[in-house]
Amino acid sequence: MLKKINLAEQQADLMHLNTEKRNLGRRKDYSDQRRDSLVARLRASDHTAAAELVDIYYEQIYLFMRRLGHDRQISEDLTQESFLNAWHHIGQLRDGKALNGWLYRIAGNVSKLYWRKHKNKEVAGIEIIDMPDNKDQECDKVGHFEQLEQLKNAVAQLPSKLRQTIVLHYMQELSIAEAAEAADIREGTFKSRLNRALKALRKSVI
Amino acid sequence: MKEEKLQELLNELSQRVTEPVNPDLCEHIKQQIPHRLARHKIGWDTVNIIIDLRMSKSVAAAAIIITMILLVNLFGGRDSTGGNLFQDGMLLIKYWGGAGKSDISSSRTKYEHLLHRGEEVTWYGDSIDPEDSNAVLMQHKLADGSYVVMFADGHEKEVSSEELIKLLTRILLKKAK
Repeated sequence: MLKKINLAEQQADLMHLNTEKRNLGRRKDYSDQRRDSLVARLRASDHTAAAELVDIYYEQIYLFMRRLGHDRQISEDLTQESFLNAWHHIGQLRDGKALNGWLYRIAGNVSKLYWRKHKNKEVAGIEIIDMPDNKDQECDKVGHFEQLEQLKNAVAQLPSKLRQTIVLHYMQELSIAEAAEAADIREGTFKSRLNRALKALRKSVI
Repeated sequence: MKEEKLQELLNELSQRVTEPVNPDLCEHIKQQIPHRLARHKIGWDTVNIIIDLRMSKSVAAAAIIITMILLVNLFGGRDSTGGNLFQDGMLLIKYWGGAGKSDISSSRTKYEHLLHRGEEVTWYGDSIDPEDSNAVLMQHKLADGSYVVMFADGHEKEVSSEELIKLLTRILLKKAK
């Protein structure tokens, strides 16, 4: 019975992974022109544009919160708070190119404020999904999985600023320029933080 | 570990550190979309316009401060006691028994007065329940970044931005229910 439940959970996770891949493709197809139009409509207080913004970004912002170490419930709350803040500061959004960085900066600030208020709260991990890969030998697969687990834990233990750079650039797949805007720092500063983070990870992972 | 291998592992990790998102979350957030998205962000719009002109933030701030000093000098700071006069007016209205809607209308007058002065104020009075004494009628951003919040029963409180978000979230959640 337990095995069946585990199998069902794993299948659900794999289905989610495939959906996530499809969503990623969709996000990349989301052309600059459409993004500019969305921002223009947002600035004109278009209600449907706000709903479209939620459709496109709610999963990304939720996973951003999870990857920053918040648990499920808090991540949902902080995702809502991020959108609420975004609407109240919609006048500050300049153009389509700035949309990603702007929204992630708001979400990052919401997360930062939460950590500041709950200093003693532990970082909540997010599970690594097991992907079927017939090419690898079983023992190689175990070793590889352990390495990923080690890396995941090393990322979680990084100081918050360094963790944020890794999450923004590698996990959320933002460009250096977008990630720097999201972290509210210059590109040069972001690159140097990223290097420091990578150096720390290289030391931690064997 | 080599850098290339680390990058490869990080890229793989980004694909595998994921989980299903609660499908109700999207609808729940959409329900909270305020009727009017754009608030009266006069101050920030000015800052953004100046930044858009490719001026640095410090130059933009200096330009705004100089403009404000010039305006204060021009008008001789005659509005400096306006706030106190307004408070007295509110007390008189209360004394005459005009609670509830009169609080809202007098707050509205104050909002329009502050807006006219170019202050960063936001009005929520059109979408709140007047029976809820803790509903936020208006927010007024102060120069130090904190906010003065006026409630439906007429009392005022100075709060931080975090406290303000909490107050507004509570109202939105109440409205969503």
